[in-house]
Amino acid sequence: MHAPPVQRLITELSRLPGVGSRTAQRLAFHILRADAAEATALADAIRDVKEKIGTCEVCFNLAEGPRCTICLDERRDPAVICVVEDPGDVIPIERTHEYRGTYHVLGGALSPIDGVDPEDLRIEELYGRVASGVVREVVLATNPTTTGEATALHLARGLHERATGLTVTRLASGLPVGSDLEYADEVTLGRAMLGRREL
Amino acid sequence: MAGPLTTEAVVLRSMRFGEADRILHVYTPMRGRVSAIAKGVRRSKSRFGGRLEPFFHLRLGLHEGRSDLMTVTSADTLSAYPRLREHGDALDAAARACDAVGRLFETSDPHPEVFNLLCAMLGQLDADPDAAAAPERRLSFRLKLLLVAGIVPQLSSCATCGESDVVSGFSAAAGGVVCAACEAGSFGLDAGTHEFLVAALASPLVDAPQIGPREATLADRIVVAMAEHHAHVRLRSFAGGAR
Repeated sequence: MHAPPVQRLITELSRLPGVGSRTAQRLAFHILRADAAEATALADAIRDVKEKIGTCEVCFNLAEGPRCTICLDERRDPAVICVVEDPGDVIPIERTHEYRGTYHVLGGALSPIDGVDPEDLRIEELYGRVASGVVREVVLATNPTTTGEATALHLARGLHERATGLTVTRLASGLPVGSDLEYADEVTLGRAMLGRREL
Repeated sequence: MAGPLTTEAVVLRSMRFGEADRILHVYTPMRGRVSAIAKGVRRSKSRFGGRLEPFFHLRLGLHEGRSDLMTVTSADTLSAYPRLREHGDALDAAARACDAVGRLFETSDPHPEVFNLLCAMLGQLDADPDAAAAPERRLSFRLKLLLVAGIVPQLSSCATCGESDVVSGFSAAAGGVVCAACEAGSFGLDAGTHEFLVAALASPLVDAPQIGPREATLADRIVVAMAEHHAHVRLRSFAGGAR
């Protein structure tokens, strides 16, 4: 129906997450209508990101070069490591401006049913960082989902076995600011009640 | 049968979809396994909160449209099983129990007994995570699922010739235990494992008989082989019969 190059563009765009064939067609026509500089800039950006961005050799966050900007920042506290599932999880924590430690990106969450076992994640690398003796606290910031909780429990056990003096913490569970109590589920509200603090 | 539907359900599986949605597999007493989309559930202010996470026992409002995927319209918690969520082995046992139900009973055929069995397993994991996550309870649960699925192994006599004196092996192809004369293609079966299989099928889930690690590995192999051979379903075994 379309000329082969257009069809190829639609096929490639429809591989993107959340993009179906109609959206891919709309995006392809937008690119066709755009001027050459705009289309080239998009192509260059995609090429650049694939050529220049890799993973940090220390924390496995996205990095341009061997180490990410957070691991290179000397103002960050190397004695505290925040463990997250994916590189995308670093950004919301950074947006809080409440955390000044470093990160460790696992690359997913444990799910034996889906074939994701401990050796498929960067868990040994985390244990290696803790074994250096510099680390004082590990904050487990995996998602509060079933697989995220299972991963946090597995890590807590492994970390306590390997480093007795280490403090292992988990992000608090509670209610989103601006939400209504009547819509809170029982597990979240129960944990919020257990984790209440004195004013 | 388009329109609204209200049913009890246990969430078996939850997968991210699109920007903020999730696709759920839930198990219901009268509609079997149902797939549904929960829109906006990953947003922190979603009215569903964390209710649509795996293992929640819910009263679920669904809208059935023309597609195979229903839409979740409401969710009220019947049991959240909060304690099992803080215990690694119990989480693993619950995930494997839900996975086995989802794989062995993936159609819309009603199996209220499977739903009740799953709720019982989750309830026991919540009440006593250590005991309920032990291999005997997990194996007993899976054996009972095989029973409902109609693929429980024959244990009383040789599945090939009917000889009941001495059983020495197990053959998934034959459908049960086999005698020495018929044991081609089978694997060895010791008396302890045989006794466990018989007793586990005869007793309630909570009274599952004790089993050693070696026997648990063998019993697990038998369950996995039966599911694979007769239902073409591959269940994940639990490593070494341990947790």
